[in-house]
Amino acid sequence: MSAGAIDELRAEFDDPFRKLGRDAARDRGMVVMSWPSVPVELVRAAGLLPVFARGRNTPTPAADRVLEPGLFPNRLRQLVEAALTERLVNVAAIVLPRSSDPDYKCFLYLRELARRGIAAALPPVLLFDLLHSDDQDARAYNADRTRDLAARLADLAGRQLRADDVRSAIVSANRARAAARRLHSLRNDSPRIAGADVLPLLGAVWQVEPERYAALANATADALAPRVPLEGRRVLVAGVPVDTPVMHAAIEAEGAVVVAELSPFGGCGTSVDVETTDDPFAALAGHYATESIDARLPVNALMRKLDALLGTAQAVVLSQPEEDASFGWDYPRVRELLARRSIPHTVLSGDPAFGATAADRQRVRSLLGSAPARPEIRGG
Amino acid sequence: MAEKQLQSTLAAAAFQKQWFGDLRRRVFDERQPYALIQADVPFELFDLLEIPAVSNQWWSSLVAAKRQAPAFLAAMSADGIPDQLCRYCSLGLATTRYPNAGEAPWGGLPAPRMLCARLTCDCIHRVFSLWADAFGTELFEIEHPAATELPPRWWELTRNRWRELIEPHRLEFVAATLEHLIERLESISERRLDRAQLRERLARVNRQEEIFDATRQLIAAAPATPVRMTEQIANVMATQWVRGTDWAVAHAQHFHDEVRARVDSGVAAYDNEKLRLMWVGAGLWHDTDFYTAFEDSHGAVFVWSMYLAFGPDGYIRYGLEDPLAALASRTASFNEFLHNPPWAAEWTVAQALEHRIDAALVLHPKSMKPSATGRIFIESALEQAGIPVLAVEADVVDARAWDPVAARKTVATFLDQRVLQ
Repeated sequence: MSAGAIDELRAEFDDPFRKLGRDAARDRGMVVMSWPSVPVELVRAAGLLPVFARGRNTPTPAADRVLEPGLFPNRLRQLVEAALTERLVNVAAIVLPRSSDPDYKCFLYLRELARRGIAAALPPVLLFDLLHSDDQDARAYNADRTRDLAARLADLAGRQLRADDVRSAIVSANRARAAARRLHSLRNDSPRIAGADVLPLLGAVWQVEPERYAALANATADALAPRVPLEGRRVLVAGVPVDTPVMHAAIEAEGAVVVAELSPFGGCGTSVDVETTDDPFAALAGHYATESIDARLPVNALMRKLDALLGTAQAVVLSQPEEDASFGWDYPRVRELLARRSIPHTVLSGDPAFGATAADRQRVRSLLGSAPARPEIRGG
Repeated sequence: MAEKQLQSTLAAAAFQKQWFGDLRRRVFDERQPYALIQADVPFELFDLLEIPAVSNQWWSSLVAAKRQAPAFLAAMSADGIPDQLCRYCSLGLATTRYPNAGEAPWGGLPAPRMLCARLTCDCIHRVFSLWADAFGTELFEIEHPAATELPPRWWELTRNRWRELIEPHRLEFVAATLEHLIERLESISERRLDRAQLRERLARVNRQEEIFDATRQLIAAAPATPVRMTEQIANVMATQWVRGTDWAVAHAQHFHDEVRARVDSGVAAYDNEKLRLMWVGAGLWHDTDFYTAFEDSHGAVFVWSMYLAFGPDGYIRYGLEDPLAALASRTASFNEFLHNPPWAAEWTVAQALEHRIDAALVLHPKSMKPSATGRIFIESALEQAGIPVLAVEADVVDARAWDPVAARKTVATFLDQRVLQ
């Protein structure tokens, strides 16, 4: 069961976006999104399936003609490439969250490309405008936007969306989150699985039907629990959130184990359940506003998440690709936090979807050479 | 540096220096509060509550013009902050965080009572959080709900149909945020904002921008541009930071009248004007001589930048029954007009045609990422309108990677090969 479960989860992480454009009937049930700051519960409650564009090492010639270099991350180039090569013609919608300037600009670009006739056939392109400020006005605004998105998705799906449908989707997604947390817990004190292997299994939570995900993730956790813990320096990956396991693999090729990552596709993407309250739209809005890990999450919230993730990490790798405009500003605070915890770190500048550059690999080797040999108990 | 041709330009520079000197005196000697704010924050609210406000972008441009930016930015790089991040919005932070790295103009920024920023680009929250920490002062953030409907020809809606231009949920949210800002400013100043005074101030802002509109028309219609782009910017921006005040309206009129007199007398900024250029993007503050460098060689004169043109199109709001809603409608989409498709491209082309532009130089600011977006649409729209485009890779405040000789050579080649042919 476990090998099959792992294979299925891995396939569910890798395949859905890649397979778009091959089966029109299947595509019609899909909503393509650029980052998991959109409540997938709404998509599922509308009877649709969420699919995420993520970074890949495949070229994007069509996208490169309309997106300025150095501004858009790989995942958005992949999304625009798919849009321009008519692979998204049949999907129900493209939804971009306001989780970063590039995501928002991608929304505007897609609409403009359609208006100018450059993107010949696009499905509806929607924006989910989520504010991260934590005050009453922002909470009300977010709840309103969440209701608006729910109505649009329901309209596209041709069905009525009741609050009970959304509540049910939340309960179901929380079961998947619990299973993901169980899987992630096997990385903490004595890692039973390499980071490059587990990230796809955790990241699949966003795309797999929740009950199925819970079954697969629990089966995987059952199989992994008796394993002998892995040796090697324990590394946390932070900085710009990664959406592929490629950087993990590069770090682990140097003999380390990636035990956590500050990314919604890793363990901290499912660390907290959505509350089940009278108003499920407000609950979703509140959850995604505080839990979404993206470029607009306030720095204090991000630092708290990073602090909580450090655990037994012996070294930290910060991803700082060229297109970042936000996370690099956290560096002084991150450096200070890590210094307080006596954890060494390094900064990698390559595109995390393409693997480590030679210079990045050398930085990882130097880092691991300087990391303490054994986990130490550190104060919080 | 080219000589100043207008008395109003000298008056604007003198006013700014005096204003900043008065600010430092008030802050240090009288312990009065002041605020350090982003350029797109509604200055009017601060001024009406007698809290002087310094624009971050103005301060950055001043540091760059005084050739101090490289030293401060080098200190920031040495601190591990990646060079790829926005320098325009963070140069001021660098002058505070690394005070000994260079010599800040006019004695440097005193500690403000408040920082205030609109959360447009992803970096703003982070830059201003670090800056607030460095000063040990409070930060008020104006959240930025995103536009999803962007009606065409926005500049035809801003004055009278602004409720159609800004989606109601965004307008309501920004107005509510401005109410909170007012409460905070009232608490600091221990004064109450008089809404009638706000309405009156916005009406005076309208008056000021109407004067700028008339000045823009004069420049666009004159046989040869009567005032250099750099002097347009100096006059407009000194005025915009204190917009709607007695001095601002009077200065806008003074500037207009000088331009009017030059047009009436047939005086051109450059006598042998052959080509009319436009500059698309923020100003190249560390090398403003660039804008006069092609006059003698090619008769090429920079006629247009966004600074004068955006005043009337971006600021004027008629229908001030609810002045805060009108102000919110300006705040909600302020600089998006200049960058977002389709808004930026269609406005730039309309301005180019109105000003009889022969060629456009479009800034590619590598570190100012959101400002760098949208240019692909601007450039293609200009080219489709028959206006040759040259992309200029530069940072507006960071001169470290700027080669002035090579840049001038590139422009000269462009003018020779694509414009004069």
